Amino acid sequence: MSETLFVVEDLTVTLPTSRGPVDVVKNASFTVDRDDTVGIVGESGSGKSMTSLAVLGLLPGGGRTTGSIRLNGQELLGRSEAELRSIRGNAISMVFQDPLSSLNPYYTVGLQIEEGYRAHRGGTRREARKVAIEALERVQIPDPARRIDHYPHQFSGGQRQRIMIAMALCCSPELLIADEPTTALDVTVQAQILALLAELQAETGTGLIFITHDLAVISSIAQRVLVMCKGDPVEYGTAEQIFSDPQHEYTRALLDAVPRIDDLIPAAEEVAG
Amino acid sequence: MTRYVIGRLGGVVVILLAVCLFTYLIFFKLSPDPAVMICGKTCTPDRIDSIRTVLGLNQPLLTQFWEFLQGIVAGRDYGTAHCSAPCLGYSFQTNESVWTMITARLPVSITVAVGAAILWLLAGVAGGLISAVRQGTWWDRSAMALALTGVSVPNYVLALVLQYLLVVKLQVLPFPSAPAFSDNPGLWFESYLMPWTVLAIGYACLYARLTRANVIDTLAENFVRTARAKGLQRSLILRRHALRPALTPITTIFGMDFAGLLGGALITETVFGLNGIGKLAADSIAKNDQPVIMAVTLLAAFFVVIGNVVVDLVYTALDPRVRITSA
Repeated sequence: MSETLFVVEDLTVTLPTSRGPVDVVKNASFTVDRDDTVGIVGESGSGKSMTSLAVLGLLPGGGRTTGSIRLNGQELLGRSEAELRSIRGNAISMVFQDPLSSLNPYYTVGLQIEEGYRAHRGGTRREARKVAIEALERVQIPDPARRIDHYPHQFSGGQRQRIMIAMALCCSPELLIADEPTTALDVTVQAQILALLAELQAETGTGLIFITHDLAVISSIAQRVLVMCKGDPVEYGTAEQIFSDPQHEYTRALLDAVPRIDDLIPAAEEVAG
Repeated sequence: MTRYVIGRLGGVVVILLAVCLFTYLIFFKLSPDPAVMICGKTCTPDRIDSIRTVLGLNQPLLTQFWEFLQGIVAGRDYGTAHCSAPCLGYSFQTNESVWTMITARLPVSITVAVGAAILWLLAGVAGGLISAVRQGTWWDRSAMALALTGVSVPNYVLALVLQYLLVVKLQVLPFPSAPAFSDNPGLWFESYLMPWTVLAIGYACLYARLTRANVIDTLAENFVRTARAKGLQRSLILRRHALRPALTPITTIFGMDFAGLLGGALITETVFGLNGIGKLAADSIAKNDQPVIMAVTLLAAFFVVIGNVVVDLVYTALDPRVRITSA
């Protein structure tokens, strides 16, 4: 068992709505070890994205968080904005769902990688540029020294997500939170991004929280899985246990919703007959 | 890029020709007979005939229009008098060359437009920006209420009220007289201050509301969330990630508004008695001075069309997504 990196305990997130405060996450707990991947699964509105935003203190206006979030034993909840800022993009990074809208269309990808690096490491533009080129190279963008001066719209969807990953990893974070990073991509590109994440994780030993509604993706990448339903953490265990022996009926319903090739074959025969 | 610019300028020429033709048809064909107007009260049929001949009014419409265009490009002759290019004819009222009238008054309109534009850009964008950053606060609410009021007040009312207060009652400003800057810079500034302010207030209010809405929209964008997740300072996020996307669309509106004003601020110039293009337009319409009306219309169209091209070129520099790749 490797050492514990990141612990979330009894995390409750409350958002103000027109009908009063609503708990969008209720008492969620999970642990991420170094080199480890934890998957958070659930449908839209299950609170999985709110969990990740709460970790970085990026909740939309008026959101409140209680419980405990610890990185290397250090409590993150209740930290000042300035302290959280020094953690964001540095010790804990995030990759978002829609890479096109998550990149600023007005600036080159190089600048957008460099500014994150310089916010935490300082240094000259030239140094940051060198780091950015290396980061692009690591996520396998061809011809990074030239592409660094291109704008987001000049890249394909998969490349944009690679750039987001490069951006997130440029300060060598201890924990990477990937919030539906492959949802906006087509299946083959999805597989490439997953492989890239796994490869980079093996290389750097970064802990990974992988948020998705796609169980197939989780089964291929995560060691442990937290299943969430309408803000409630309904099941938490190793991936093996969740997939082979789901305890909660919601998990079973989710698993049943995954189309399986052996379900489809008889149906096809029926149609043919 | 060069090809694009040439193409656009070709478009400009076509549009200006169309504007010329329509203005020509409307003002020369649907208005009272120019010959009768020039001739005045003590008129004989012979004199009307000779005026018609000199102005070419007895020729077919297209020939007349062609000569008008020729006058602009190459100059033309009226009887024995030569009107050198760019020839826009002579005023029916004063017999002055229209081109001379325009060039004498254009500096006034440009001064009014530039001064007002600086004021409203500074006030409007800054006000809107502060409101957006302090959304929902006391500052934001009062600024936006004020802006709504400002947009709703017609500027001739504002002009008269300010003039009464500052010039007549408090006597802190002189009555606007459009002196030359070089003669008396102090008086020049004081004279123009009121027209600038009056003209700027309406626009500033509009721009403040626009800026506020754009900045708030931009701050809700995913890329701003990314910037926050990177651990950037709030001021850097605002300056770099929010401001440019929020202000880029405003350049378009600004270009059009400013170009419109170069063609004369009709109401403001008239109220303050400034001899700019706007006042010239108002006077010439009142007196049905067709060559002058024609010229100010063309001038306004010229500025708007050129303004449009400039805005598009500036836009390509500001937004990388619309950058033109030379084919």
